[in-house]
Amino acid sequence: MIQAPNPPQPHEVPGIASAEDGVVILDGPNGIAVTMTAEAAAKTGESLMEAADVAKKQRCFDRPP
Amino acid sequence: MFTDRFLRYKRGMSLDGNERRRLEAAIDEVRNLDARKIVIRSRTQLHESTLLVDGFMSRYIDDRNGLRQLVAIHVPGDFVDLHAYPLQTLDHDVATMTAATIAIVRHEELDTIIAEQPQMARKLWFSTLIDAAIHRAWLFRLGRLDAMGRIAHFLCETNARLFSAGLSDGRRFALPLTQTDIAEICGLTNVHVNRIMRQLREAKICVFRSSLVEILNIEQLTKLGQFDPDYLYLEDPDPVLPPH
Repeated sequence: MIQAPNPPQPHEVPGIASAEDGVVILDGPNGIAVTMTAEAAAKTGESLMEAADVAKKQRCFDRPP
Repeated sequence: MFTDRFLRYKRGMSLDGNERRRLEAAIDEVRNLDARKIVIRSRTQLHESTLLVDGFMSRYIDDRNGLRQLVAIHVPGDFVDLHAYPLQTLDHDVATMTAATIAIVRHEELDTIIAEQPQMARKLWFSTLIDAAIHRAWLFRLGRLDAMGRIAHFLCETNARLFSAGLSDGRRFALPLTQTDIAEICGLTNVHVNRIMRQLREAKICVFRSSLVEILNIEQLTKLGQFDPDYLYLEDPDPVLPPH
């Protein structure tokens, strides 16, 4: 029997952030479980938004004409 | 007897009366330790191994900043550092988490026991293989499970291990660890653990209060933790699983 490799793949389901006791908890995607200060969470959010914009553009360029 | 819980309720590997008496006779010393004390430092030459009689202990590795990562916890009946018998040194530190009682068995005594009763080599080896199986389960837990899953898995695993040691009825057990300990074990913050514990309590799945864990819905808890006790090689896993 051949076991196919199963490395981690990009997640299609977003993580869920919530506030608890003055910090931000990020649950998911998959096994991600991180707690950040509000400031770190805000900066991570901005960085994610910027990276998401760039990634979307990269996806457009990758499409064949 | 100090060795009563060692390999208790393990599939085909429990000690018979003769083997248990021989191991008991091999105990060189019994020590009572305070909580949060380092017992063994990594890379120290060892000539004895430690059987945990009572209490909880941990194995951990410090990062370059001295921050600790727990890599295993031990419950009564575990031979905490039997690995040092062939390895001579450990690659990690060992400490008590709670007040603990340990029984010391010198390696030369283990040599004698194995010479007298060769089947004991297999049983001692089995004990370290269970440790390795638990390590694999911890990797799975931290690598694949979300926060809820990690805590659910840890609680199910501890319930099963303590049941095997005769310290859980399959649904209730004393867990003298703090929420901070559980956070460290599960790679989560205190706030996160606190929230998950509240969610488990509100959903009437499990309550952890005053060092007592009460599993109210074993079916849900095992499902959340994707827990299958097969790796613990219990004589019969049914008491720590949902009814069929």
